[in-house]
Amino acid sequence: MRVSTWQVCRSLAMVGLLETVRRKDLYVVLILTMLMVLGASAFRIFGVSGLEIFVKDVAFLTIGVLSTVLTVLIAARQLPDEVQRRTIYPLLARPIARGQLLFGKWLTAFVMAGVSFVFLAGTAYALLLLLGIPLKPIFGQYLLLKLLGIGWLCALVVALSVYLTPAANITLSLILAFGSGLFGRLLLMAHWERGVSALGINWLYGVLPHYDLFDMSQKVVYDWSPVPWWVLGAMGLYALASGGLYLLLGWLRLRKQVLG
Amino acid sequence: MLAIEVHDLVVEYRQPLRPPLRAVDRLSFCVREGEIVGFLGVNGAGKSSTIKALMGFQPPTAGEARLFGQPATSALARQLVGFLPETALYSPYLTPYETMRLYGELQGLRGRTLHAQIEALLEAVGIAPKMHTLNRQLSKGMLQRLGIAQALLGDTRLLILDEVSSGLDPVGRRELRDLLKAQHARGATIFFSSHELGEVANLCDRVLIIHRGRLIAEHTLSEISSRFESLEDYFICTVQHGVDALLEEVAA
Repeated sequence: MRVSTWQVCRSLAMVGLLETVRRKDLYVVLILTMLMVLGASAFRIFGVSGLEIFVKDVAFLTIGVLSTVLTVLIAARQLPDEVQRRTIYPLLARPIARGQLLFGKWLTAFVMAGVSFVFLAGTAYALLLLLGIPLKPIFGQYLLLKLLGIGWLCALVVALSVYLTPAANITLSLILAFGSGLFGRLLLMAHWERGVSALGINWLYGVLPHYDLFDMSQKVVYDWSPVPWWVLGAMGLYALASGGLYLLLGWLRLRKQVLG
Repeated sequence: MLAIEVHDLVVEYRQPLRPPLRAVDRLSFCVREGEIVGFLGVNGAGKSSTIKALMGFQPPTAGEARLFGQPATSALARQLVGFLPETALYSPYLTPYETMRLYGELQGLRGRTLHAQIEALLEAVGIAPKMHTLNRQLSKGMLQRLGIAQALLGDTRLLILDEVSSGLDPVGRRELRDLLKAQHARGATIFFSSHELGEVANLCDRVLIIHRGRLIAEHTLSEISSRFESLEDYFICTVQHGVDALLEEVAA
């Protein structure tokens, strides 16, 4: 009897969460939350009248940076940790496929990073409320889109961890995540300044990862109305297609890889 | 039926700017169901590389390895196999019970059956009192016992054990021997590597000796005892002879 992919994912995710709690990784999120609370207290002392946009901007920038760094760090160590500790052998000795293991590790990273993000965003929401800065309903769409982005980023980082050393993976993933907002502008510059063909620019734009597309924090900061749901649907499809492609590329390498 | 079939197996490791290192060189052997076979060799002989290929961790460069007729890399083949790695390391943040539960679930076991099997196995290997202690607080010998317990999870018909008695005290070795004999009595096939020749002599029906990646001898224990004083004499003599034979082959 072969074990179902769901069973593999569930077992690995449960153990991953248990390890995270015992390794005290969640303390990092708690410490970061405390820093946010302290920052908010300073705003409260000096007053935020007329600074609402600035305060929201700082809050969402903080959440964006922290959640991205945490996601990359969590996802980058899922597989390499197992290989380094040699716990990969008893795992792969079970009747499970390497693809199931990869998918299980992605799900573990997604759950852990997602929980951390929701915790940070929930704290920021509560702090902003305390400062008398309520958020509009678009905040719900922001949460949803960001969670999609975190799942997508986990797929990218887990797939890269099959090809690169942990340090190289973390560096490249952070560059891709934080630099993705610049890709479009750089390509346009190449088009205008160097005359690179529009076809080439479009092709490159499509190939490069776009984590920035999952961030609608500026719309929350400037109190936009909710965006049409088809936009989120389209982003969901993009996340599914490109995230699936990354995991597929990771599996293609992992299935033949010598481990340990 | 054959539990293990290995045909012309070659395992090579790529090295940057150097020719690949051949760890296993056209190795062929088979193990019938119900046998206990010891897999011996000096350090670096290719035992662990062969076992990695058998477990599907290391894709063969050439040749093939099959378990119960299935390719060793298939998940189906591993359904019936229990495996103890050379270095038994388990997540330091889990307890033996949680470790066993994870591997049991990945083996397809559930609920009360799994719970009962975990308790029975941890009891059998002597770490039941420590089943809720974190793995990082366990000694090397206890981790080895945990490794043996996880290898026995499920309905295993073949046990592949790499350096099985490593880190065990004399009491642990005796218990291990009894445990493996009990597994054999219920019909399990056992294939193991060890440097403890006393253990091998106490357990095995047959011995395979590998040297520089090649099989250089294959004898039953009764054949060995009729010609040699001890398994150690046989082993040293065979390896020495094997080295001479290889040198002659290279010279030729």
